Amino acid sequence: MNRNCSISTIYIGLLGLATVALGLADILVWAGASPGISFGILEIAGDDFFRCAWGGVIMVFGGLFMISGMKDAGKNLQQFAKVVLGAIMVWIIAGTDIFARFCESIPAGEEAPEFFNSLAGFIGGFAPPYPPAILLLPFTLVIACFMFTWRFDEA
Amino acid sequence: MNFTEDKRWDLVDSVTRRVVSFGVYRQTIGDVLGELTVKPATGIPVALAVLYAFWSIFGSFAGALVTDGFMVKLFDNHWLPWLQSVWPDPDSILYYLFVGDPLADNCFEAFGMLTSGLFVAIGVVLPAVLIFYLMMTFLEDSGYLPRLAVLMDSVLHRIGLHGYAIVPAILGLGCNVPAVTATRILETRKQRFIMMTLLAIFIPCGAQLGVMLEVIPETVGLVMIYLIIGFGIFGLVLDRLIPGSNPEILVDVPPYHWPVKGNVAKKLWNRTKGFLKDAVPFVLLGILVVNVLYLAGVIDALANFFEPLFVTWFGVPKETVGPLIAAFLRKDLAVAQLSTIAMTPYQMITAVVLVSIYFPCVATFVVMLKEGWKELLAAIAVLIAVVFIYGGLIHAIGILMGVA
Repeated sequence: MNRNCSISTIYIGLLGLATVALGLADILVWAGASPGISFGILEIAGDDFFRCAWGGVIMVFGGLFMISGMKDAGKNLQQFAKVVLGAIMVWIIAGTDIFARFCESIPAGEEAPEFFNSLAGFIGGFAPPYPPAILLLPFTLVIACFMFTWRFDEA
Repeated sequence: MNFTEDKRWDLVDSVTRRVVSFGVYRQTIGDVLGELTVKPATGIPVALAVLYAFWSIFGSFAGALVTDGFMVKLFDNHWLPWLQSVWPDPDSILYYLFVGDPLADNCFEAFGMLTSGLFVAIGVVLPAVLIFYLMMTFLEDSGYLPRLAVLMDSVLHRIGLHGYAIVPAILGLGCNVPAVTATRILETRKQRFIMMTLLAIFIPCGAQLGVMLEVIPETVGLVMIYLIIGFGIFGLVLDRLIPGSNPEILVDVPPYHWPVKGNVAKKLWNRTKGFLKDAVPFVLLGILVVNVLYLAGVIDALANFFEPLFVTWFGVPKETVGPLIAAFLRKDLAVAQLSTIAMTPYQMITAVVLVSIYFPCVATFVVMLKEGWKELLAAIAVLIAVVFIYGGLIHAIGILMGVA
């Protein structure tokens, strides 16, 4: 095994911690601990049980899976699979967030006489701020990259 | 041609040499993920995530994109005004039956066969059912559904069922008609009866869910929580009361794979076609029948008769009698009707739960009858008891919480 396991372990660990923290932030904001978090392009509105509470729980589990699988993730397929499962949980939340924006951006607004949104309006639907899962998405894609490049000899 | 035993074995050897290849099994990431999704510690969070994705995609596609994005505009801004302008004599009975209220400015409130009827069937329910069946087929064909069955086995055993009961339960969230038929995959009469009864009472169909998401989005979560709790409680009770066995099952869990496009398209078409054939005529007929009953004064008479029960025991306005009658024809229609009655949020939750646990829609009723009239009568007896007990219980909870 030639790859540098320590760097990937640290990366996965940090990603897992960030995922747990953002998931908990989702839940806490929904529970009323804060009126909402807005930091740069990150926004947690906390006004929706489905996206914040349920989605937050899934993010927390995703982060925990990454943390539990980070040790020997480069050598042991069982461990790496937990990391992948954690990343898949983040992809599910981010994917559904993006799909929701896509669906909301296609039609024109309720008051507009036309049916379809303009191109500028459609693209504007994907503008920041973003929920946590979308911000984590590019970082979790590194795990997809590991999935296609790493080989597990003992398996 | 006669072969000796040795010759037969030689033949077997020559065939296997040609068709069987040997290699070393290498576990893949897909295999390990497959194992992780059936272990409770990892599988339950994954199931939560899958259900989240399911409902999120359902709401985004059916609600935000198709219904709110296009259908509301099409029906309210174009179809309704056009129909109101071309249909003669707004004071006639035919106008009332087919177009509805001449002063209505949206199709939910008009309540005519060609306004609310078409809007509910085509504008709200069809997109909901289409995306539901697409995702259902994807879960089925990707190999996730058998894993969910394994995961749910121990939970469902507590209410006298086994893991595969998750198939009719999820199918029921699309339409209760195929779900009742799917209860045949359960082994014993006891299991089939429990599942069929719980399906008819506690599992709202995709059409009803679609309308609920459209007209009372903020209370859908609470309605579902009440239904899930009711499913568990009455499942436990039925398991204790009904004699019979609850055998273990062996589930064949296939490896994960991408669904074949052709198979998905075929299943989607067959299921949607079945829905269109069964549901659309009932929606249109439902509105017609309810309007005729309103015109004949039957609904008002029933509302006055049942007023003490509805107001005192269930804590909902007497006007909900009309939607409950419509619920026998189509539950989605009944929820749409409820949305036009002035109620507190808690009364709305109670009324929608009542519509859900009240008689199954007539199409489900017919399929249940095909499964056996004794079972149907027993299911109705359970259903009446559940409506009274659970409806009163929800009202009592509301009183204790100070919201009823």
